[in-house]
Amino acid sequence: MLRALWTVSALELRTRLRDGTAIVIAVIVPVTLATLFGLALGGDDPPLKATVGFVDLDGGEFPASVRREVMAAKELKGSVTLRDLPSREQAGRELESGAIGSAIVFPAGFSESVGAGKGGDVAVLKTPESPLAGVVASAIVDRISAVVDARTLAVRAVLRAGVPGDQVKELVERNGAAGPAIGLADDPLAGGKIDLSVYYGSGMAALFAFFVVGASFRGLLTERKLGTLDRIRAAPVAAWVPVAGKAAVGFALAVAGALLNWGASVLIFGSTWGDPAAVTVVLVAHVLAAAAITMLVTSRVRTDAQADGAIMIVSFVAAFFGGSLVPVYNLPGPLQAVALLTPNGWTSKALTELAGSGAGLAAVALPVGVLCAIALTAGGLAVLGFRKGLLL
Amino acid sequence: MTTLETASAPATTTTPALACRGLRKRYGDVVAVQDVGFAIAPGQAYGLLGPNGAGKTTTISMLVGLLRPDSGTVLVGGTDLAADPTRAKAKIGYVPQEIALYPELTGRENLRFFGRLFGLPRRRLAARIDEVLDLIGLTDRADTKLGTYSGGMKRRINIGAALLHRPEVLILDEPTVGVDPQSRKAILDGVERLVGEGMALLYTSHYMEEIERVCERAAIIDHGRIIADGTRRELVSLVGTADKVELVLDGDVETAFAKLRAVEGVVEAARTGASSVRLIAEGGRYLLPALITAVEGSATVTATQVIEPDLEATFLHLTGSTLRD
Repeated sequence: MLRALWTVSALELRTRLRDGTAIVIAVIVPVTLATLFGLALGGDDPPLKATVGFVDLDGGEFPASVRREVMAAKELKGSVTLRDLPSREQAGRELESGAIGSAIVFPAGFSESVGAGKGGDVAVLKTPESPLAGVVASAIVDRISAVVDARTLAVRAVLRAGVPGDQVKELVERNGAAGPAIGLADDPLAGGKIDLSVYYGSGMAALFAFFVVGASFRGLLTERKLGTLDRIRAAPVAAWVPVAGKAAVGFALAVAGALLNWGASVLIFGSTWGDPAAVTVVLVAHVLAAAAITMLVTSRVRTDAQADGAIMIVSFVAAFFGGSLVPVYNLPGPLQAVALLTPNGWTSKALTELAGSGAGLAAVALPVGVLCAIALTAGGLAVLGFRKGLLL
Repeated sequence: MTTLETASAPATTTTPALACRGLRKRYGDVVAVQDVGFAIAPGQAYGLLGPNGAGKTTTISMLVGLLRPDSGTVLVGGTDLAADPTRAKAKIGYVPQEIALYPELTGRENLRFFGRLFGLPRRRLAARIDEVLDLIGLTDRADTKLGTYSGGMKRRINIGAALLHRPEVLILDEPTVGVDPQSRKAILDGVERLVGEGMALLYTSHYMEEIERVCERAAIIDHGRIIADGTRRELVSLVGTADKVELVLDGDVETAFAKLRAVEGVVEAARTGASSVRLIAEGGRYLLPALITAVEGSATVTATQVIEPDLEATFLHLTGSTLRD
């Protein structure tokens, strides 16, 4: 019986490779789309490099403290460069020439004003050409504002309590409202931080896996129309041979396609999908689930044209709600829950986990388990459907 | 059923190549096949006749294992198809009504694919493909794609694919539909040769002359039941032995027609034109001299035609001439 299985599989493989559809659907289209999506919508986040002008017209303790903190912040090391500038006008010229991306301007008397509990204004100069530098400068100033507010409040409270003016500074500093402490906390995106090239690469791989395996099952209906399926069934072979022969080829092509998508993503964008073994297991589990679902769809339709339409609808619905086309964290809350009803959602979740954290196989045990369960359930229902039409 | 008890399978001690009994298949309220049964001995050609929708294809589908009967048994060379389908199917060569081949493959590749499904070893298969290509006369076109073949050539490959494993019984479902006379002759010659070599044959066709030429026995199936079964002579005898005699007269046709009706043996007479009459007469071919003598004095017979009863007449007699589907 294995010989018959091999015979059917060999013909299917040969047919798919000969007409070119396998390579186009499994590799060329998904890699092209993933590349276009990656280039258009992100790819790797550009490296954070910002030169921020620093204009200290105050000359007091507060600006000095801010400079010290920024230079010492680990998160900004190698990313943010402070350039001292003598005046606001100079900062404006430097900004216009592109020499700096933004500037922070401490006005004269700033430290004294804050020390007296009167607060103070720090100016931020930005340009649309350097949005990242603007964001950095604004973030620093936001942090300064918080510290200034806290210090102003503390000073006022101390003064209101009747403490003599010459003792206010000492008292406030002793009680922890001394000066700025610039902190840049890691603030990952909800759902895990992931390179967009990984996201779209895996999304396209997940979507096109449906089409690749679906084409094989659709072929069963074409063969039924052609009469060759009956002819195979009239031969001394088990009833499952035609289905299994085509399924094996569709599965192998879809896995190969997904792996090539992964490779292309690495080559084109230099992205990292995570632990290779775990990524492979996730991709194989996804293809299994996609194969079972398309087999189920095929078992419930009558013609190959119906199969085409049904497989396309199922594939795109699963891709959209499962985050293969739009990142799951960009979807509204209820739709994020719906994502977990699709194999694409679990695949996306698993690959995001792997790419974002560098975790191994254990971290994706649940998604892989769910994908296998989907494969078993859909596959079982498909076999029942096939028994009524294509097997017996 | 108009079954002729005398027309049962010839007495033989050999196991029938194909035997079925009590086959029944229903789809919802429609009974497609009911109590169908017959046996075909090795080297015997058996025809299955029936109008469209009579149950021929359903019967064949059950015989080759494509359809599971609701009841009844199928034995192929003594092997129960339901109990051991793999072994039973290995003895059958099935040629479906449609061209069931891969158009993107060559003729040889098509034969190789189906030969492998029957488990033929590579070397033996290659030799057998050459033999079959020679048998069906397509050796010189073997390596061109099937899509470029004519209808007749495809039909021949369609048959060839069923012969590779030397089946004990060949089942041909309307194998000559849409082919030119040359291909049809080649197909029938080949089929006769195979039967002569001892292969059992089940043959369905709408062409009565093919059944008459190829099959020594036939069954007529209608509304899912076999309504007649026997040799050609036995089937034809079901509509009687009366011949149809057509005469063209010159003279007083009216008087001559009255005289002809009175001739002993004439059971039915009708005017078919101003100078022509049609008679149904027992042993009409022997009655011609008496008919010519009877009209003397009134008219002269200028042309005659005697039509003996045939399978088609029997078929129409048993199944009616109402159009189906």
